[in-house]
Amino acid sequence: MTTQMAPESMYRSTEGLGVWEHRGKVASVGIGHSPTARRWDGRAETSVGALSIQALRTAIADAGVSPDQVDGLVLVPVTTTGAHWPEDQPVPMDVVNAFNPTDDPLDGVGQLSAEWIIKNMPELTNVKFTMYAPGCMSAAIVVAAQAVGDGLASNCLVLKGWHNLEGRYNHGGISASDEVPGSFAISPGRTLWGAPGCFGTALQFAQYCTKYGKNHDMMAPFMQNSRRNGLLFPEGYWAQHRPEQLTPEDYLSSRWIAKPANLFDNDIPIMVAAAYLFTTADRAQDMAQKPVYILNHASSRGVARSITPTLEEVEAETAATGRKIYEGAGITADDLSFENMYDGFAQFHQFHIEGLRYRGMQPGDALDFYQTDISIEGPNPILSSGGNIGSGRSRFWMHTDCMQQIQGRAGARSLTGVKPEIAVSGGPMPMGGNFTVWSATPD
Amino acid sequence: MAILISFDIDGTLEVGDPPGPLTMEMVRIVQDKGFLIGSCSDRPPSSQRSLWEEHQINVDFAVAKHLLAGVKSDFNADAYYHIGDREDLDRQNALRSGFEFLWPDEAAAQPWFLPEK
Repeated sequence: MTTQMAPESMYRSTEGLGVWEHRGKVASVGIGHSPTARRWDGRAETSVGALSIQALRTAIADAGVSPDQVDGLVLVPVTTTGAHWPEDQPVPMDVVNAFNPTDDPLDGVGQLSAEWIIKNMPELTNVKFTMYAPGCMSAAIVVAAQAVGDGLASNCLVLKGWHNLEGRYNHGGISASDEVPGSFAISPGRTLWGAPGCFGTALQFAQYCTKYGKNHDMMAPFMQNSRRNGLLFPEGYWAQHRPEQLTPEDYLSSRWIAKPANLFDNDIPIMVAAAYLFTTADRAQDMAQKPVYILNHASSRGVARSITPTLEEVEAETAATGRKIYEGAGITADDLSFENMYDGFAQFHQFHIEGLRYRGMQPGDALDFYQTDISIEGPNPILSSGGNIGSGRSRFWMHTDCMQQIQGRAGARSLTGVKPEIAVSGGPMPMGGNFTVWSATPD
Repeated sequence: MAILISFDIDGTLEVGDPPGPLTMEMVRIVQDKGFLIGSCSDRPPSSQRSLWEEHQINVDFAVAKHLLAGVKSDFNADAYYHIGDREDLDRQNALRSGFEFLWPDEAAAQPWFLPEK
């Protein structure tokens, strides 16, 4: 079975599409997470392949289905944004051969293919639909939701795995080359030779502060709240390995990476995998967990006029994304119980939530909003998952949190100031990402 | 002669992530010998302090990495050393801040860290 990258036609990326045709007819039921680690220790059982299998099996069991009932798999084949396998370093064949390998020895070590997963999960005897999504769990979720809605799969696993290698992030791959293309050399985060990855966001944030009379210090309550929520997320890196609060003093005394973005405005790369089991609303009734219905998915495909988007472009795109999200779900901003928009980089979270008009916010309001009660106990929770800041770079805590909150199994992180009924999650970038609306009921 | 040693944590101390070659016992040994000691790390200052408290070591300072120069102005010593594992954030930063610099393996071989006979 050849696995294709999802076609652009599966995404809802323009305004005016109306209510999603599968609104409330697709549900997420099962959740599976692997343990986290800062870096791979070289063992087969801690490889990204092994973590992914663990997450998938947990999600299947959590949903209460048998593996042979699974007929679909959507995954992201790329498992890093900056821990590229060094060209001059041999792939450890003892690890490769600890599994059923594919033709590419990096499979399960520094990338994932559907073929590798199927070969190493012999219990998946009935998978007839596989598809790749680019980059993030946010994209994989959208593709899987559309696939189930379209009838391409009935019980579909959704997977994202992350690996992180020893050494410094983003110093391998093309950064280790003697020459890089000019556009790579000057684009933020593309290579070691360009500006830091957070440069573009920092520039937009600086423009934002100038335009609205705000400052970097005003981020501190958001950062503290995010880490607090992350420490209440037992699946997360900080909760598992370094249960440290991030105080305002810690945050504000940190060094600049690209002023006004400091070290903690960036997330920490980790090893981890997560999987979900999506199904039809009808089938979900007979499964082990409360269904979380998908009301809509929407995508942003903003195009900047230059290398780095301007504040005005970001604000226009996030506002359009907000309109797409609500239009397809048939809801308004007032219907959102909580939000879990992306935060890695921390300084673009406010663009996402202002675009949503969350709690009536307008452009320029978010940093003032951060000075109010944004806790999970209050009426206006912000990023209840804690996001990447709270649990490490995975880009999926926000989705898991939406499901767990609505299913009533978020534990110590449970929202108490609002009843978790409808939520939105997604990302990554304000100028390009994929977003999902989750609901406790199908209508 | 008063000597001040600033320790990076990750990649330098045994409790770092990744672990480094310098043990907490070695830190205790230099402190017992009268060295001024502390940490200068990208870890938040509050977590640096928690780490030292966890190992019952009462350090003289715990600062963010870019604030190393301030340690020199805050403490009067005859020699200032920073031990770390990164070229830019440790070695270059130390030299810019007026510190001598040692890589963790170099530091571990210093007689300072040997117990008194």
